[in-house]
Amino acid sequence: MEFFRDPKINFVGAMKPVFTISILLVIVTILSLVLHRGPRLSIDFTGGTIVQVRIAPVPDIAQLRAAVENAGFVGAQVQEFGAEDEFLINFPQMQTDLLEAAQVMMQRLRENLPDYQIELRREESVGPKVGGELRTAAANAIALALLLIVVYIWFRFVFRYGIAAIIALIHDVTLTLGIFSLLDLEISLSVIAAFLTIIGYSLNDTIVVFDRIRENMKLRRKESYSDVINRSINECLSRTFLTSLTTFCVAITLYLVGGPVIHDFAFALSFGVVIGTYSSMFIASPVLVFWYEHFIAEKKRAGASM
Amino acid sequence: MNRSLQIRGALCLVILLFSLYLLLPTFRAASFSAEERAAALNDPALKAKIDAADMKAIRRGLDLQGGMYLVLEIDITGMSPEQAQDARARVREILSNRVDQFGVSEPVIQSVGESRIIIQLPGLQDPERAKNLIGSTARLEFRLLKKPEDTQVAANRLDEAFRRLAETTPRDGGQAAAATEDSLAQDTAAAAGDLALTAGDSLQDPYGHLQTVDPLDHTRPAVSDSLRRQFPFSSYLVPTPWPYFAVLEQDVPAVQRLLAAPEARVIGRDIEFQFGMEREMLQDGTVARMLYPLETTVALTGDRLTIARERPDQNRPGNWTVAFDMDRMGARQFAKLTGDNVGGFLAISLDGRVKSAPRINSRIPGGSGVIEGTFTTAQAADLALLLRAGALPADITIAEERTVGPSLGSDSIRQGVRAALYGSLLVILFMLVYYGWSGVITNIALVSNIIILMAVLAQFGLVLTLPGIAGIILTVGMAVDANVLINERIREELRRAKTVRAAVQAGYQNSTRTIVDANITTLIVGLVLWNFGTGPILGFAVTLCIGIVTSMFTALVLTRVIMEYISRNKGHQKVSV
Repeated sequence: MEFFRDPKINFVGAMKPVFTISILLVIVTILSLVLHRGPRLSIDFTGGTIVQVRIAPVPDIAQLRAAVENAGFVGAQVQEFGAEDEFLINFPQMQTDLLEAAQVMMQRLRENLPDYQIELRREESVGPKVGGELRTAAANAIALALLLIVVYIWFRFVFRYGIAAIIALIHDVTLTLGIFSLLDLEISLSVIAAFLTIIGYSLNDTIVVFDRIRENMKLRRKESYSDVINRSINECLSRTFLTSLTTFCVAITLYLVGGPVIHDFAFALSFGVVIGTYSSMFIASPVLVFWYEHFIAEKKRAGASM
Repeated sequence: MNRSLQIRGALCLVILLFSLYLLLPTFRAASFSAEERAAALNDPALKAKIDAADMKAIRRGLDLQGGMYLVLEIDITGMSPEQAQDARARVREILSNRVDQFGVSEPVIQSVGESRIIIQLPGLQDPERAKNLIGSTARLEFRLLKKPEDTQVAANRLDEAFRRLAETTPRDGGQAAAATEDSLAQDTAAAAGDLALTAGDSLQDPYGHLQTVDPLDHTRPAVSDSLRRQFPFSSYLVPTPWPYFAVLEQDVPAVQRLLAAPEARVIGRDIEFQFGMEREMLQDGTVARMLYPLETTVALTGDRLTIARERPDQNRPGNWTVAFDMDRMGARQFAKLTGDNVGGFLAISLDGRVKSAPRINSRIPGGSGVIEGTFTTAQAADLALLLRAGALPADITIAEERTVGPSLGSDSIRQGVRAALYGSLLVILFMLVYYGWSGVITNIALVSNIIILMAVLAQFGLVLTLPGIAGIILTVGMAVDANVLINERIREELRRAKTVRAAVQAGYQNSTRTIVDANITTLIVGLVLWNFGTGPILGFAVTLCIGIVTSMFTALVLTRVIMEYISRNKGHQKVSV
C-alpha cells in the first residue's frame, strides 16, 4: 500500500497564500490573547487551589455552585470534570493559609451538603511565590529549548536552516496558544510540557525535510533552489504523512480515552501534530526559499554585477 | 552469514531477554489482587513476597498510586546562612520522624535550595491528617495565665488606644464623637458591669474543660454601635467564670486584626493574647473561641518532654488526653512552677493556640502531666506524636501541594493503560496494512521498544506517571518514524532497481543520519523538560527521552539485523516493502 507515488505538489509556489493564511491565524491568536487579556494561566502559574471532588448522588451544578459560595469561596469556579458526578472547583489565592484552604472548603461543603457523599479525588495548591517561579521556569525552559535547537541546527546545517526551523516552531507554538485562548482552555504545567513536545515533534519533521534538501542540493546542482526544495518535500511527503498520521492517532487516542486529567495535554499534542506537520511542509522549507531569494540570491547578483 | 550479523543478532536477543527478565517483578506485582494485598497485612510470608515484587517493579508516580507531594518553605528570615542550614537539617530530621509514623512505604524527604523541603508520600490514605501533622510547628509551651486585674488594665489600655485611633481618623469627625459621649454614659455603665471579670470563686471544675462554657449565666447582649465605639476591644469579649474570655466566632477576625494592629502595643510586653485551638459551643448555642491572656514568659517548653502518649480520659469516657513525662530538669522546673502558683491557671499552648488551660490545684512533683481537650483517639495520638518528634526550630508554610486520592490514581492507571493499548494497536494494525511483511518487522521493533523502555524504567527506579504513559505512547508514534524513514528509503532504492540486499544496505545507510538528526533535536527538548519538570511532567520527560534512545536502537540495530538476515537468505526474491 502506498499513499503517494511520486507526488509533484508545488509547495514553494503555494508560499504566498499559505503565508497569508498563517499570518492571519497568528493575528487571530494575538487578537484573542488581547481580548482575553493574555493566556488563561492555571493555578500552577497564578497560585491558587483546585479541588476535584466526586459527589454522590449527583448534585445539580447550580446547587454545588451555591454551596461553594455559601462556604465563603466567592469567585470560585465550579465545572463538571470528565464525568457527570465529578467536579473541579477552582479558586484563586485566599487570605487563609494555603494549608487550610482546601480543607476548609471540604469541611464546609460537607456541612452545606449534608445529604451527599463528597469524596476528595485530587487537590492541588500552589502558593503565589511558587506560582511566580514556575512561570519563570516555564518561560526559561521554552526559551532554552528554542535556543539549543537553533544552535544544533546551525551546527549541523547552515544558519538559515536554523532560522527557518525556529520560525516554523514559533508559528506552531503561537497557533497552539491561539487555539487554547480561543477555546478558553487553561495553560497548565502539563500543557507547557505538550508545547515543548510539539516543538520537538515539529522539528523532527522539519529536519527530515532539511536533510533531504541538503542531499538533493549536492545531487542536483543544475535545478533551481525552489525546484530542489519542492522536490525534497515531495520525496519526503509519504513519510511525513505516514508518521504524522500514526502520531496523530496515538495523540487522539490519548485525548479520547486517557481520562480528564490529561485531556488538555493530549489536546495540545493532537493539535500540535497537525500544525507541526503543516508548518514543516508549508512554512519551514518555503521560508528557506524566501530567505535565499531575498538575502543570498540578491547578494550573489549584487556580487556578479560588480 | 557473516560474523558481524551474528554478533549483532545475539546482542539484540540478549537485550530483549534481559529486558523481559527485568520486567518480571512488574508483572508479578500487577498480578496480586487487591484482596491478596489486603490479606498480606496479616500474612508476613505473603507480604514479603509482594514487597519483593513491588521493590523491583516499575515505580508508579503519585498521580498513579495516589499520594501527596508537598513543598515546604522554612521561614529563615533573620538567620545567618549557618543557622539556616542548621534549621533546615533539624526540620528535615523532625519531619522524617513525623513522616515515619504514617506507615507510607517509601516516603521521600529532600532539601531543595536555601529554604525548601520536598516531601512525597506515595499511597497515603489520609491526606488531611498528614498535612496537619507535617504543617504544625509543634511548639509546645506552658505559660501562666495573667491575673484578672492585669488583664483588666490591658483591656482598658487597648480600648483607650483604639478609641483614640477612631477619634483621630476623621471619618465621623470630633463633633459627632462628642455628641454621642453623653448618650453613651448609660451603656458604659452597663458594659462595665458586663465586663467585670469573675474569677476564682465560681470555679468548681479544677480543669478548664471548655467543651461548653456551662456556668455562663447570661446570654450575650447584642452590642450596640455606640458601645462598640466606647469599648473598641473589650466589647468583643464575653466573660466566662475563668480568667479568660470567649469571643464569638464571627468576631474572631476583628479581634485578631485589633491585636495585630500597631496600636495594640500599648498593652506592654508582659501580656499576650492567644486564641484557643478549637471552636466551642456557648450555652446559648453560639459558637465561640476562647481568648486567653497569657504571661509572655514561657514557663516551660515541649523540649523538656521525654514521653508523650495518648490516654483515655478518666473523667469523660470516649474522650482522650495526652499524657506526658518530663526529663529531670523539666520535672524540677515544673514542680517549682506549680508549687509557686497553686490556684493559678496554666495554659498549654501549641503553635500559638491554647490547647487547654487547667487550674493548678497543687504542686506537681513528678514531672508528669496530662493535656486535656476534646480529643478523639486519632487527634490525641497525633498530638502525642508531634510532641515526641519535637518542635520545629523554625516556622514552615506549605508552598505547593499536590494530592491525588487513591481512587483517582487507580482510575488514571486504567485510563492510561487503555489509551496505551488502543494507541499501540492502532499503530500496529496500520503498519501491517501499509507495509505488509516489513510491517511485521516494524511491529517487532515497536513492541521491543516498549519492552526495553519499560525495563529501563524498572531497572533504574524511574517513576512512571500518567503523562509518562503518554510519553510511551508518543514514542510508539514517533518510533514508527524511524522505521518509516528506513522503509521508504528501501522502497526508493528498490525503484532504482537495486537488488534487495543492496537496497536494504543503502536504505539503512542513507537514513541513519536523518534519523539521528531528527531524534537528537527531540532529545534536546526532552532533556530541557527533564531539567524543568517535577512530578508528572518529569515522568513524561523521562519516558520521552528514554523512548527516543530505545527507539533509535530498535530501528537502527534490531530491524536491521532482521532485514539483513532475511535479505541474505532470500535476498534475490522480492520483498514486500
